[in-house]
Amino acid sequence: MLRPYSPRLLLLLPTVTYRTVAFVEAARRLGVDVTVASERPSTFERANPTGLVTLDFADPAHAAAQARAFAYAHPLHGIVAVDDDTSVVAAAIAQELGLRGNSVAAAAAARDKHQQRQLLAAASVAVPRFELRTIAADPERLAHGAYYPCVLKPLRLSASRGVVRADDPPGFVAAFRRIKAILEQPELAECGEWARHVLVEEFVPGREVAVEGLVTRGSLQVLALFDKPDPLDGPFFEETIYVTPSRFARTAQQEIAACAQAAVRALGLREGPIHAEVRHNDSGAWLIELAARPIGGRCSGALRFESGETGNGRRDTSLEELIIRHALGMELPTLEREHQASGVMMIPVPGAGVLREVRGVNAAQAVPLVDEVVITMHHGQMLVPWPEGSRYPGFIFARGETSEAVEAALRAAHARLEFLTEPAD
Amino acid sequence: MHAGGVRRFASPDEAQGSPLAQAIFAIPGADVSEVIVSGNLVTVVKRSPAPWPAVGKAVGQAIRAALAAGQPAVASKPAAAGSATADDVLYERVADLFDSQVNPMVARHGGRVELIDVQDAVVMVRMAGGCQGCGMADVTLRQGIEAMLQQHVPEVKGIVDITDHTAGSNPYFAAAKK
Repeated sequence: MLRPYSPRLLLLLPTVTYRTVAFVEAARRLGVDVTVASERPSTFERANPTGLVTLDFADPAHAAAQARAFAYAHPLHGIVAVDDDTSVVAAAIAQELGLRGNSVAAAAAARDKHQQRQLLAAASVAVPRFELRTIAADPERLAHGAYYPCVLKPLRLSASRGVVRADDPPGFVAAFRRIKAILEQPELAECGEWARHVLVEEFVPGREVAVEGLVTRGSLQVLALFDKPDPLDGPFFEETIYVTPSRFARTAQQEIAACAQAAVRALGLREGPIHAEVRHNDSGAWLIELAARPIGGRCSGALRFESGETGNGRRDTSLEELIIRHALGMELPTLEREHQASGVMMIPVPGAGVLREVRGVNAAQAVPLVDEVVITMHHGQMLVPWPEGSRYPGFIFARGETSEAVEAALRAAHARLEFLTEPAD
Repeated sequence: MHAGGVRRFASPDEAQGSPLAQAIFAIPGADVSEVIVSGNLVTVVKRSPAPWPAVGKAVGQAIRAALAAGQPAVASKPAAAGSATADDVLYERVADLFDSQVNPMVARHGGRVELIDVQDAVVMVRMAGGCQGCGMADVTLRQGIEAMLQQHVPEVKGIVDITDHTAGSNPYFAAAKK
């Protein structure tokens, strides 16, 4: 008897992503055959040549050629990228194999903050004033020509790494030198021309939200709007709490969604997940950044969607299941988020040092409305504060009747955690 | 919780005599289908749409109650009568595969996969070394070990990882970015 048809998904998983379990298990729940592609070979690749492949994530065109060779023997029906870097690789492969996805140009523009700003400004999407500067420039000269307050940021680093606000020329010089030191670290200095530049942009005051969405034929469906109740006014921009549904007024939410849709259109994105950071103030919505990928870290755990039936009755659908279904052209269940309010706290780095112990996890877990406390950093690993760092020690999840209650539960749980560290050698 | 190796319970009937497993199967609305106890690690598989955090809290209550009772929480595995069972035969085949192929492969990344037990054709493993807490551990489990089991020991019905990955102190790939 012939084996029932099962589509095959190419899942681009960098070896350092947090997203592995969520995507691999989502594919299993959907009964989808998966080929996992990483930038470094799995030790099982020869044993399971259909399920594992190594691709050159640093060179999207090369990765596309490798994927084509792979697909001759193992036909592929969809592709999913989980982070910024692989979003461009996924676009190249989708284009090469005729799979659902974005153009390389659109994905690359979303990946690079300067290109993105240029396209958005040209399309009259509200973005901060910006200028591109080389790290070889004299910061003291640049400081005198800058507008204040401003924000300096690398073109490609994720999780607000290297993003610093400056309020005056001395602050500008200090921020510039700090970012330059980050970009001159060997693993970044070799990454290409982007690592030799800094974007300087006007600081936009206002409250910030995150937009999680799914794009189909260029049309954005907003899946969730997350409030960020802790002000992100700098000098560094480490994220903390995300809570949905948003407490913004309906008109403001509509402006934010329209801003994100305009950005999608301006960048030329056609298919797949997006994650956008938008600020809102008296002038309306401002697009701060838009990435052609889903929400990062473990934060997708804060999202559950109403779903259809299974053999055992109703069950919730994860964001990853929606993304995989979309990539494979499978029918999408409802895109309505669950009725409860939900939130996640990216646990702030308590200070620099080597993590020795985390106390209070059970007490934090016991806080009413708290779903889960996940410590993702291992004992012995370095805690590096922002702006040099980009890694949270863990995540707290909560659900409840209202966004206010969820936010309060996250804060209460966080207050019960204690991180013990030692100075680094 | 249980010092005598691993016990897996696939139904409330099998849990008779093991108060912890009985209590977990009895959690209202969870529709628990499987309970595995290994040392102080309790693994629960459920069928219901009830969210894990709610079920997890009920499991926690069951564990605390079992400990407070002062009685063995889990009964020892009954000895098989007579000749080797089907699980014993599977265990030997899986162990051979682990020794000859799986562990030499993961050893290249400083990892190790321990075969804990085979019960009702379900393989239970614990990952150690570079695999414990590795960001790619689930890929190793599903695309590596499970795929090899399907190929070489197709009688195996499933594989369960009972590793406490949060305790891994030297993962080969540490998750570090979005």
